[in-house]
Amino acid sequence: MIKEPLIDELEKIVGKENVLTSREALRAYSYDGTTSWIHEPDVVVFPTSADQISAIMKMANTEKIPVTPRGGGTNVSGGSVPIQGGIVLCTTRMNRILRIDKENLSCTVEPGVVLLDLRNRLAREGLFFPPDPQSFLGATMGGIIAENAGGPACVKYGVTKQYVLGIEVVLPTGEIVNLGGRTLKNVVGYDLMHIFISSEGTLGVVTKAELKLIPLPQAQKTIMAVYDDAAAAGESVFRVLENGVIPAKIEFVDNWIINRIEEMMSMGLPTDADAILLFQADGSPEAVEKEAQKIVEIATKYGAREAKIAKDQAEADRYWAARAAGFAATFGKTKTVFSEDVTVPRPKMPDLIKKCKELSKKYNVDVVVLGHAGDGNLHPSILTDISNKEHYDRAVKAMEEIIETAVELGGVLSGEHGIGLEKQKFFNKVTDPVVLNMMKGIKALFDPNNIMNPGKIWD
Amino acid sequence: MEELKELKKVEKYADQCMKCGFCAFFCPVYQVERTETSVARGKNYLAKMAIKGEQEFTPEMGEIISKCLLCKRCVANCPSKTEIDRVVIATRAQMVHEKGLGFPKNFVYRKVFANKKAMNRYARLFRKFQWMMPKTEGKVRHLPDFIRSMGKRNFPELADTFLSEQVKPLYKPADGKAPKMRVGYFYGCATDVVFPHLGLKFIDFLTKQGVEVVVPEQNCCGVAVYAAGDLETARVMAEKNIKAFEDVDYVVTACGTCSSTLKDYQKYLPDNEEQKKRFEAFEKKIKDSTEFVTDVLKVDIGGLKLKKEFEGKTATWHDPCHLVRYQNIKNQPRAILKGLKGLNYVEMSNADMCCGMGGTFSVYHYDISKKIADQKMEGIKATNADIVVTACPGCMVNLTDNAVRHEMPQKVYHWLELLE
Repeated sequence: MIKEPLIDELEKIVGKENVLTSREALRAYSYDGTTSWIHEPDVVVFPTSADQISAIMKMANTEKIPVTPRGGGTNVSGGSVPIQGGIVLCTTRMNRILRIDKENLSCTVEPGVVLLDLRNRLAREGLFFPPDPQSFLGATMGGIIAENAGGPACVKYGVTKQYVLGIEVVLPTGEIVNLGGRTLKNVVGYDLMHIFISSEGTLGVVTKAELKLIPLPQAQKTIMAVYDDAAAAGESVFRVLENGVIPAKIEFVDNWIINRIEEMMSMGLPTDADAILLFQADGSPEAVEKEAQKIVEIATKYGAREAKIAKDQAEADRYWAARAAGFAATFGKTKTVFSEDVTVPRPKMPDLIKKCKELSKKYNVDVVVLGHAGDGNLHPSILTDISNKEHYDRAVKAMEEIIETAVELGGVLSGEHGIGLEKQKFFNKVTDPVVLNMMKGIKALFDPNNIMNPGKIWD
Repeated sequence: MEELKELKKVEKYADQCMKCGFCAFFCPVYQVERTETSVARGKNYLAKMAIKGEQEFTPEMGEIISKCLLCKRCVANCPSKTEIDRVVIATRAQMVHEKGLGFPKNFVYRKVFANKKAMNRYARLFRKFQWMMPKTEGKVRHLPDFIRSMGKRNFPELADTFLSEQVKPLYKPADGKAPKMRVGYFYGCATDVVFPHLGLKFIDFLTKQGVEVVVPEQNCCGVAVYAAGDLETARVMAEKNIKAFEDVDYVVTACGTCSSTLKDYQKYLPDNEEQKKRFEAFEKKIKDSTEFVTDVLKVDIGGLKLKKEFEGKTATWHDPCHLVRYQNIKNQPRAILKGLKGLNYVEMSNADMCCGMGGTFSVYHYDISKKIADQKMEGIKATNADIVVTACPGCMVNLTDNAVRHEMPQKVYHWLELLE
């Protein structure tokens, strides 16, 4: 528990209206978007400037109080859960877009800016920040950078780290540093900026970021390809790419999820399909037209029973709304869901999909799959109930085998969600001890008292 | 656990939430406060704790649960379809059940709102003294300086003659022919004491369409009462209203909040199956003015005559939460405004955003309410429209307060007021 005088100190730093201590408020900051991790902080603070954050960190460092940075709290790794109590440092009130520089194709944002607010604002200027984690309605830029978020559009455009030019960070010891800058190229010493991207809030608090932008694509077309065999869908993905077409998005939805979505709301998906792929081509109108035709052609050649271009925006919107409802359709059906984030090299996707089906039979649990097939990042979800021990144990075994398979196939444990608390035990298993020691050394260098989001990534 | 009766009823709705946090984007209160306790996910989490018996009904819990406009924007956009409106109302009901309403709410809801005659007695008393409230402009007044601590609110003055003081019990079709149908007119409190001309206009409109209109003695719809969690009193009010409108084909109202409230008795209030069935039967009879005109009467809008003062003017539509989300009435009012000859129509970008009123929300959380309204006003300004049109007297009061505060040229009208 934090002592009363320190609460007073925090109130002095950020103002009384920016400190919450009621039991109810602490409970509301005890969770994130996961189902299994809950821990209350001792206090929640809402700083409004880097200087305030610096003062908070200095105090916490002196008193050795854990600090968990948090934005919208939409993450699905347990990463923003204050697992050791202490201070939740919430950046949602630092939500200004400070500058949009059309000439430099960049913008400067505070960490609490919500991604969709940014995208809407940029669209008015004809600009585009491509990374699109599907939590864009609540996810804030600080978290997106700290988690190196991805999303469907990464097939063509890449992940967050490719769009950060510079950051201002408050270190756990309170210093404010600027890393990177406003230029596309930068080789002045070690690239320390990228250590913070995907550090999951364990090294410091991003207080400002300079983001790289691109012009907003002029046209888009959506293609739905229908498969009687999910593994064939996996193959279509790399065949399309191999043939020189890089769609903006390639999303995979399996039979089980298609049916749950259709139960929730009729979206016109084929309920008898083993899987579907949704492609989005974007760019200039002429190129998009050609790419769409080519996708239809290749998908049909490699096993799609049907491939069609959405005839208008309404039909396209319907398909993407259905895809966005995928997670809800899964989570709404059971008490506990293990949502995996494994990513494999693209040609290995059919193998992973087959394995998921086998494991579903072997352990007699529902293993359902949707995900960003275009970059090999699938989200197999295992449906179980934590209160049914026998079932839960089988689900855990299935999950372990999925992860082992992904690693054997040359893939990774997490593509975009991060390790947080959710994937810790697998992290320790799959990480080279030498590499783990390097990470721990870096952590100790930045955060000698281990106060910055402690207890995350590794045990 | 008998003592958690009201909350237990909504347990399955609360369980729907998967904590994705998408509601934050849609919540007007979150947009102002940016704290987890202001958004549906946080409230739902605390309600779930309460259902498990792990969260007491503390004053802080009361404060958190009170900070919901019941605008249902989050509900409309929730991927897992969590009906937080049910959870919030049930939580408030549980608190009332355990802690009571407390003064002055117990007096206002049980002695004033629940009894239309008493309410009008107080309204008449207030009318006698409203000269003490300085005039802002036209028929809009504000609080005098000595009670400014309650905020500088602008509000429309009470009418010289309330609707209930002048309305007749029966109006025959204007053409003297046999009536097309017989409808009951539910006028609602705001129309009664603030906008009686609106009620007379609606009756006149209906009789010209060949409809027979009966206006029985009636009660307040009860929305404020049950939104505050006093389900018991609201049930009595609902029963009285159902009884008052027994022998009509439809019950029509020109108040979006009233129409949705009457329809939703079956959703929020039933105490048993038999009551639920009767409330459901009542729901089927209710029509809002906008849907009644377009969907039931199928009036040729192009044939209606626009008042001269609106000729060539540009109108924008504000969607009352109680129409657009509670009743899915979105196209009907737009069809009316676009169909009126001589009137131009422009859509505002945030038409479906709550005006910030939320009934008593704006009384208890006026500062938040104003900030929410600020966004609405920006949307209105950006349209360059001459007038703002809506179909809910509650929204009209709040939009007027804020338009005056923002010194905007736009005046606020009910769509019926545009007609000759």
